[in-house]
Amino acid sequence: MSNEVCFRLNDKDQSWSLKTYVANGGYEVWKKILRDKTAADDIISQIKASALRGRGGAGFPTGLKWSFMPRTAPGQKYIVCNSDEGEPGTCKDRDIMRFNPHQLVEGMAIAGYTLGATVGYNYIRGEFWEPYERMEAAIEDARKAGLLGKNVLGSGVDFDMHNHLGGGAYICGEETALLESIEGKKGQPRFKPPFPASYGLFGRPTTINNTETLASIPEILRHGGKWFLELGKPNNGGTKLFSVSGHVNKPGNYEVAMGMPFAELLQMAGGVRTGHKLKAVIPGGSSTPVLPANIIMDCTMDYDSLAKAGSMLGAGSVIIMDDSTCMVRALARLSHFYYEESCGQCTPCREGTGWLARVVHRVEHGQGRPEDLQLLEDVAKKIEGRTICGLGDAAAMPVASFVKHFRDEFQYHIEHKKCLVGGAH
Amino acid sequence: MRKVVNYFRSLLLWELFCGLALTGKYLFARKITVQYPDEKTPMSNRFRGLHALRRYPNGEERCIACKLCEAVCPALAITIESEQRADGTRRTTRYDIDLTKCIFCGFCEESCPVDSIVETRVFEYHGEQRGDLYMTKDKLLAVGDKFEKQIAEDRARDARYR
Amino acid sequence: MLVTIEIDGKKVQARSGAMVIEAADELGIRIPRFCYHKKLSIAANCRMCLVEVEKAAKPLPACATPVTEGMRIFTKSRKALDAQKAVMEFLLINHPLDCPICDQGGECELQDVAMGYGRDVSRFAEKKRVVKDKNLGPLISTDMTRCIHCTRCVRFGEEIAGLRELGATGRGEHMEIGTYIEKAVQHELSGNVIDLCPVGALTNKPFRFSARAWEMRQFPTIAAHDCVGSNLNAHIGKNKVLRMVPRDNELVNETWISDRDRFGFEGVNSDDRLRVPMIKQNGQWKETDWTSALDFVATGLGKIASTSGVSEIGALCSPSSTVEEMYLLQRFIRGLGSGHVDHRLRQTDFSDQDAAPLYPSLGQSIEHLETVDAALVIGADIRRQQPLLAHRLRMAALDGANVMFLGSVGSTYQFPVAANVVVDPRCLTNELAGVAKALLKQASVNPPAGFAESAKAVQVSADHEAIAKALKGARNATVLLGTDAIHHPDLSTLRSLASLIAQLTDAKLGYMTEGANAAGAWLAGMVPHRGPSGSKGAPAGSPISEMLRQALKAYVLLGVEPDKDCGDVRAAMKAMRDANFVVALTAYQSPSLEQVAHVMLPVAPFTETSGTFVNAEGRWQSFAGAVAPQGDARPAWKVLRVLGNVMHIDGFEFMSSEEVRDELRTRVGNAHPDNKTRWHPPRPFVSVPQGFTRVTLVAPHSVDAIVRRSDALQQTTDAPTFAALVSDETARELSVREGQMVAMAQGGNEITMPVRLDARVPRGCVLVYAGQPGAEHLDPSATLTVRGI
Repeated sequence: MSNEVCFRLNDKDQSWSLKTYVANGGYEVWKKILRDKTAADDIISQIKASALRGRGGAGFPTGLKWSFMPRTAPGQKYIVCNSDEGEPGTCKDRDIMRFNPHQLVEGMAIAGYTLGATVGYNYIRGEFWEPYERMEAAIEDARKAGLLGKNVLGSGVDFDMHNHLGGGAYICGEETALLESIEGKKGQPRFKPPFPASYGLFGRPTTINNTETLASIPEILRHGGKWFLELGKPNNGGTKLFSVSGHVNKPGNYEVAMGMPFAELLQMAGGVRTGHKLKAVIPGGSSTPVLPANIIMDCTMDYDSLAKAGSMLGAGSVIIMDDSTCMVRALARLSHFYYEESCGQCTPCREGTGWLARVVHRVEHGQGRPEDLQLLEDVAKKIEGRTICGLGDAAAMPVASFVKHFRDEFQYHIEHKKCLVGGAH
Repeated sequence: MRKVVNYFRSLLLWELFCGLALTGKYLFARKITVQYPDEKTPMSNRFRGLHALRRYPNGEERCIACKLCEAVCPALAITIESEQRADGTRRTTRYDIDLTKCIFCGFCEESCPVDSIVETRVFEYHGEQRGDLYMTKDKLLAVGDKFEKQIAEDRARDARYR
Repeated sequence: MLVTIEIDGKKVQARSGAMVIEAADELGIRIPRFCYHKKLSIAANCRMCLVEVEKAAKPLPACATPVTEGMRIFTKSRKALDAQKAVMEFLLINHPLDCPICDQGGECELQDVAMGYGRDVSRFAEKKRVVKDKNLGPLISTDMTRCIHCTRCVRFGEEIAGLRELGATGRGEHMEIGTYIEKAVQHELSGNVIDLCPVGALTNKPFRFSARAWEMRQFPTIAAHDCVGSNLNAHIGKNKVLRMVPRDNELVNETWISDRDRFGFEGVNSDDRLRVPMIKQNGQWKETDWTSALDFVATGLGKIASTSGVSEIGALCSPSSTVEEMYLLQRFIRGLGSGHVDHRLRQTDFSDQDAAPLYPSLGQSIEHLETVDAALVIGADIRRQQPLLAHRLRMAALDGANVMFLGSVGSTYQFPVAANVVVDPRCLTNELAGVAKALLKQASVNPPAGFAESAKAVQVSADHEAIAKALKGARNATVLLGTDAIHHPDLSTLRSLASLIAQLTDAKLGYMTEGANAAGAWLAGMVPHRGPSGSKGAPAGSPISEMLRQALKAYVLLGVEPDKDCGDVRAAMKAMRDANFVVALTAYQSPSLEQVAHVMLPVAPFTETSGTFVNAEGRWQSFAGAVAPQGDARPAWKVLRVLGNVMHIDGFEFMSSEEVRDELRTRVGNAHPDNKTRWHPPRPFVSVPQGFTRVTLVAPHSVDAIVRRSDALQQTTDAPTFAALVSDETARELSVREGQMVAMAQGGNEITMPVRLDARVPRGCVLVYAGQPGAEHLDPSATLTVRGI
């Protein structure tokens, strides 16, 4: 049971074309809504019933988010799709835009209608040229078919959307930095409150959702919230795209039901690299805490189970590491990423990420000192929860979890000035 | 009873002999008198004597005219004037210590961020004329140049306690 | 609406919507902060002000957390202190800690906060970040390695100056503050970033390494270069003014000062200060003592009075002299029996001076400018002449006000400008008449006598209509006559028209005068036709133009350099040269005075004397001398007082400058000026003038003798240049290129200057800054011929 929502057309020929999409029931929901003038409250209650939670990483219930939007307030409002998939390990949104762009367009149109927004922006990561072209083509086709634009299909409803190609900064995946970037400013997160629902793009009420979230909307409304909920498990409705990468035989995107045991997902991805044993898994993308093999093997892939295990489902980017991995080196790579991607606006993140990266780098290169582990934990703790946006937390959490679960490896690096795993160097 | 004891003590000059015993003990003990100036007592490396201004090994004077010593001096014995040198650094044009005001507390040395003003082990100095004890920058640098080896050694020995 | 909150156990009422940090500040609870500044927007990026809030999971930034009813805040709890100390540690890891060689050392916010929240030993063993210094021009020196990225300077540029000169480039640890492409910051308020910078990254360049913060003493004083009267603190070291910093006064300058007020004072430490009285004997200047010098003056003036009559004596003073000096100077001259006193050195049209108000006032408070919803500024380069008034108008414009400009020198404004009409100075009256005509039509009011005939040829343009409409539609409008309008050869017409426009639109009419104390000068009676407080009866005299034309036998000059300060330099120099006796009370041994004067008495500039300036809104601001006068110089009020005694004139028994001020203050009482002027029929308006003309502009950094001697200001782009400034269009018409020489001829004189292209100059005009060598031969009110060489 897989590929039922976002990837449902993946096995079709030219799945990204309007023809294929329409042939498979595409835009039916949009047309029906336009025809029936479905009440926004009804749509939101369907979404709430589906227990759809934000697929971008935070897992905030989408229905609830939509209900925060001052839908009837006068003036311009916006719906923004966050396709700035920058999290290391994540590659799901890219494939939605490549293989099923129309479903995203339909999802955004429905969201726009529901939230009273007449303009939508799809912020696409700077490196995603092919998905950008597919999206551009999809929007153009939809416009030609009269599905977007002024007075769509004579219903009196206006909705149009635009793609915005980013400049390649990870921080622009943070929703308020993304808004700044669309506005043409330096991509730096805003301080919240005010939240985008009251002061968003160009100072107007704005709702920002992940690509996968928005692409799920048409299917939810077509089959009903209950259908979607039952695909998964309570409070963790529907299916989820998992981007399995790392030391597996068949890395790739897998759309499976929420709550699938990790072991099964690993099986789908062809199992751990032949001849090696599973060592650790980062279950939700680089900013989520790492889990050692023994813990993750008992988990099911959903928000609650992973939270209980001390990690997060995040964006569903499962990074598999086998026993050849040097955890110090892995952390050094991650820390360097956050050091490079910190926007530099607020102090703890700007200074702290550099400090963490340098200390881990030092430990990795055999210049660690006995007090360094304590220092790493302390600095990570000092960043966490004190920054404007989540990047500080994202940089601190891997450090804390790596040191917590693999302390012996770090200790060995410091004491013996070389790697415990060997092979890595 | 006590009266009787005291009477005999006085009669037999007991206290006198006690005193003489002490004198006698020192007559034969090792002498502790130092024959200054032929002999000198050992000195701490933290001794606070005559001031000196130091230079870096390349001859550049250390002082950056931050004026912390001037500010901290409890006797207001230090006077500094400074200017921007052609290379953009701030340097003193005047650095005076009035030794007649100085109380040798060592605060100047402690406050110095670059170990420029230091107190040397020199304590035997004098002035013959009015103003001789008014140390100018040149005089202080000269003291520094003369005793640099000793100064550097003393700072090195003290380094781990600072 | 008020809400009750509790900070550190203290219950307090706070305005709903206020931030926690504001409430805490009011309560006197100091929360450490770097990025927060009461005049700037909230960035919440330094994270230093994190505090614990009950029921909040994380510590919250006090600067960005609005108070809510029943909120309980702990600024010194373990959680809050942990967060603050953590941030402090992060801030310090990449900070060079070079306090001993940092000019900010001793007055550094980072240093202060580090004393309370920093660790004693750093745990950071890595290499620190090093950032290349930026060259921001002659006023601001940079040490960017010290920057803590609070972005106050960036926000200042965006929000206050309106010119984004500084910005943050790069991200993360590589973020740098700079201009991106190396350039000098040019905004006239940019010096304020020096005060805003909490660390030593942006410091005062002329002051660099002059003194340590704790060596200086602070004295309050008042800025002496424009009619705002910004409040300053002078920082004194070793009996020398070393720098000026703003003193908060919400009603006048808020917390800002212009660069001219900050750096202009440098001139008081100039090498050419006059330090002893000097007498010219047989063409040779000889130093002398005060007694002989004063005797020399008394004898000299006495001789003129007895041989040629007292009406052969005249006095001129700088409009930046203090009220006390002017009051005594006019009393001295009037005591001798002459009425020839004037301070309006650059004014040329005195025809309606009897109708002028008690003193040229702004007609409203400075603060009020922020609340206008339409403003017409006539003949002013307001940004450079009165930068802080420009700032107030900018705030009004950002609030939606229609701010409009009509003048002969264009400027760029960092706010939406509703109209910006730049015309040949000879057409200025015509343009204003156009506005008046449009207004009369819109309001369907009968034009006043003579208007219709004079304005027959006046074409009402779309601009005129728009200006008229904006003023008419405003509930709170103002019409401001600037310095260039006051110096205009047809001031009377401009004044009359402006008054008419103000009347028709119910707007407040105001003047923005030159110098620090033009208002005070009128009140002190330093005008020929009126005595102190506008009284009559004093011997009347001639205005400066007449005084110079009549070639008096003796002149007394107070703070005047005749070749730089006078509007008609040629006439001034000629009259002085021809005079039998010229007494100069001056702070400087200036070459022109050496040429024309017979005695020079060293007087103290504003930093060395006590005195009072009356600013444009009529605010009397007294100050004491910050330092002792240099050399043998004496405060001018004392010199004049003794001079009065020596010449046995009554009413010179003052013991202090306060006595002088109080006497005048009592005479003035509560008198307020009424800026409305009676209508007088104008001459016909010229619409298409013939030939080229010269536009005169007093460069912002050459307004008075002190500023002209400020080295730092003279290196800025606002310093006057020896050049003929023309617009692109004019240059094409003349077929000349930038840098090429042009010859400008008028009345038999020809002078050559290099061409510089400047978009501010209207077509058919050549801008030559006042005071440039040769410029005195180019009369602004006549045509001139220009040809390329």
